[in-house]
Amino acid sequence: MQSDLENKFLSDFESNQNIVHKVCRIYTSDKDAHNDLFQEIVIQLWKNYSKFRGDAKFSTWMYRVALNTAISLYRKSTRKIKTQDISDFTYRIEAIDYDDTVEVQLKALYTAIRSLNDIDKALIFLYLEDKPYKEIAETLGITEVNARVKMNRAKDKLKKILNP
Amino acid sequence: MDLSQYKKAWESQPEDQHKISAIEIYKMTQARSTSIVKWIFIIGLLEIIFWSLINFFMHKMGYTEIYDRLNLTYQLDIVSYISYAITIIFLFLFYKNYQSVSTTDNTKLLIQKIIRVRKTVKWYVYLNIFGALIAMIVFTVIIINSPEGLKTVLNVEENALDRDQLMTVYIVSQIVASLIFVGFLSLFYYLIYGILLKKLNRNYNELTRLEQPN
Repeated sequence: MQSDLENKFLSDFESNQNIVHKVCRIYTSDKDAHNDLFQEIVIQLWKNYSKFRGDAKFSTWMYRVALNTAISLYRKSTRKIKTQDISDFTYRIEAIDYDDTVEVQLKALYTAIRSLNDIDKALIFLYLEDKPYKEIAETLGITEVNARVKMNRAKDKLKKILNP
Repeated sequence: MDLSQYKKAWESQPEDQHKISAIEIYKMTQARSTSIVKWIFIIGLLEIIFWSLINFFMHKMGYTEIYDRLNLTYQLDIVSYISYAITIIFLFLFYKNYQSVSTTDNTKLLIQKIIRVRKTVKWYVYLNIFGALIAMIVFTVIIINSPEGLKTVLNVEENALDRDQLMTVYIVSQIVASLIFVGFLSLFYYLIYGILLKKLNRNYNELTRLEQPN
């Protein structure tokens, strides 16, 4: 039997699960690891859901828990980072009626992000998700000024990988 | 190509094709966590149990007779009670620190709290090693002062070894045993905590480096 809290969690999660998939895609590079991390994030979200008071948006809260799990709790994320296979990624995004250029760009982007360190990954991810610096700083526990400095460095690294 | 173009591509990416159903999500919520924190907790708990068992058996078995002969039973009882009290205090601190770890904290605080759980166990182990060292020194001093006692305890035949030989054998074997013990312990820490904490330390350094931009 599912309780009301469980039902509410499932419906909140349902509409936001793509956030978790994106986090898994940048922090892992094969299907098993993706599913592993996905499950751990779900466990952490559910474990803390009773403490979620709704004074923040569910998605904002979810970004924090998902990134924290990937950065600090998940054991296998360092695996295969150097020898990743770009085709790993294609099984996830293979919409047929889809613009080729965008798909090529996306593949290149994911591959580039995966070669960054865990913290830079988080910074770039939050930038791509259009998060304000205030939120990025609060999520990582650093000052806004430092978030900006570090973001610029992470972007520079990413640009170098994308346009060698 | 500019990053903003990649950002556009990012924003237009489709939803994941393998959407996970509510039933599967529900099943996942019932699964057990296999996180680094969980491992640090389990290993830490095992360490505390291991050291308190060592304390317990050292006191209860073998050694008691020797201490009786050396009239140290009373002092040793006090040491034991203190060490039980310390174990209970550490268990409490360890559990309290573990409970304070929350994935909803910010990343930096979360890593700090995880490392604090690990540190609690580290101090407990240090304290035990320090205690063992003190005990060894005290014991050695006592033995040096009454080598006859050692002969009886080790069942060495009368006159088989002279005093100097006995002392050399005793001290060398103490040193060798300590070295082997410390070696195993270091290897254990290097392997277990090296693997578990590598990622956390690296990410923490990366984050704190942000605090002082060059």
